[in-house]
Amino acid sequence: MTDEMIMEAVKNGDLQQASMLFERYNKRIFNFLARLAMDRALAEDLTQNVFLRIIKYRGSYKEGARFQSWIYQVARNVFSDHYQAHKNKYSDFVDVEKLRDNMPEPEDEPWEEKEKLLHRSMAMLPDEQRELLVLTRFQHMKYEEVAQIMNTTVANIKVKVHRAVAKLREHYFELEKN
Amino acid sequence: MEKEKLESLLIDFIDGKLSEEERKNVEQELVRNAEAFTLYEQLKEVIQAMNNAARLEPSAHLKVAFDKMLQEEMGNQKTGKTVFFRPAFYRVAAAVLLLVLGGGIGFWISKQQQQAQQMAELQREMNHTKQLLIGLLDNQNSASQRVAGATVAYKSVVKADDEIVNALVKAMNDDPNTNVRMAALEALRKFQHQPYVRKMLVASLSTQKDPMVQIALIRLMVEMKEKGVTEELQRITTEEGVLPAVKDEAHIGLMRLS
Repeated sequence: MTDEMIMEAVKNGDLQQASMLFERYNKRIFNFLARLAMDRALAEDLTQNVFLRIIKYRGSYKEGARFQSWIYQVARNVFSDHYQAHKNKYSDFVDVEKLRDNMPEPEDEPWEEKEKLLHRSMAMLPDEQRELLVLTRFQHMKYEEVAQIMNTTVANIKVKVHRAVAKLREHYFELEKN
Repeated sequence: MEKEKLESLLIDFIDGKLSEEERKNVEQELVRNAEAFTLYEQLKEVIQAMNNAARLEPSAHLKVAFDKMLQEEMGNQKTGKTVFFRPAFYRVAAAVLLLVLGGGIGFWISKQQQQAQQMAELQREMNHTKQLLIGLLDNQNSASQRVAGATVAYKSVVKADDEIVNALVKAMNDDPNTNVRMAALEALRKFQHQPYVRKMLVASLSTQKDPMVQIALIRLMVEMKEKGVTEELQRITTEEGVLPAVKDEAHIGLMRLS
């Protein structure tokens, strides 16, 4: 059964089917939000909100629309709403030094030095660039899919992703030097 | 070559997205340009680092929280189902209809409440009047108070219940004071169309000893066209000790009723 068929069923009142969508998407959405927010606990709360919105606003799901694009759009909105609501609480950039507090390493598989470096350089990127890299590189989405989520052209996405990669490289090797 | 353009080409090169010709050009550039090669090496490292980054695992709490939320939403769905009209015009129409209905119902409820309030107020007033007149009629020390009680019944009571009728009948038959008895009769006269009052008035005729009340009662029976009292009137005309004025009134009554 495709995601779209399941979502149609949910929209028509069969809410139990939403657990199948949760099984398919919860890890991807959690990873997206965790890498974006650089905060695991917050990412869990936001992921929960994404699924709550999917169920509550199931009526707004348009028949025939790609479910993956829709759920990522919802996730982006949830993330953006959270930061709008907490504008004064957070500074414009993530504090790299505190990052390790919010993104604890998995106990069974401690991160290698390179991965730590990667995360610290990711934290130095603006939200938009970080988001593009999470979707295209960490989540291996095609430019076409990302363009659909962000409601823009593939060419535009490609240019932005390339700039983001180039910027990340700068931060990464700067941090490595120190 | 401009740096941004070179970076973009190198990224596509690493991603394997270049045409055969472009790929060869980049390879040649990497051979002759050491800086471009370093850039390539570095871009390759960060891209591979991202591609190979560990996947983060959410805690078990996420699934528990989701299941709980889903159950709650399913519970809400059972209690109230959303009615969703399409197109928007129907939604607007439904909203207007609901508004009008809501206003109407609100107005109706408010009117009902107002009426109920008025009824309750009236009932409260009636009870108050009733207690007042019964209390006055029962005042053994003051005949004028008892007359006042009968007057209240006459002036303020629209329909007398059994309790009021009994109090008035008792005053008419047994009160030691003629004025009270007459006032009670006058009050009862007002309620003569009530069957129970009529019955009590007829019954009183046979027991009444006060000539004033007797005369007033006989006149009332004639007024009421109560033919059932002719035998009683006959008895009064022949009974010894009855005042001649009463006997005359009974005679007149008999003539009028027969």
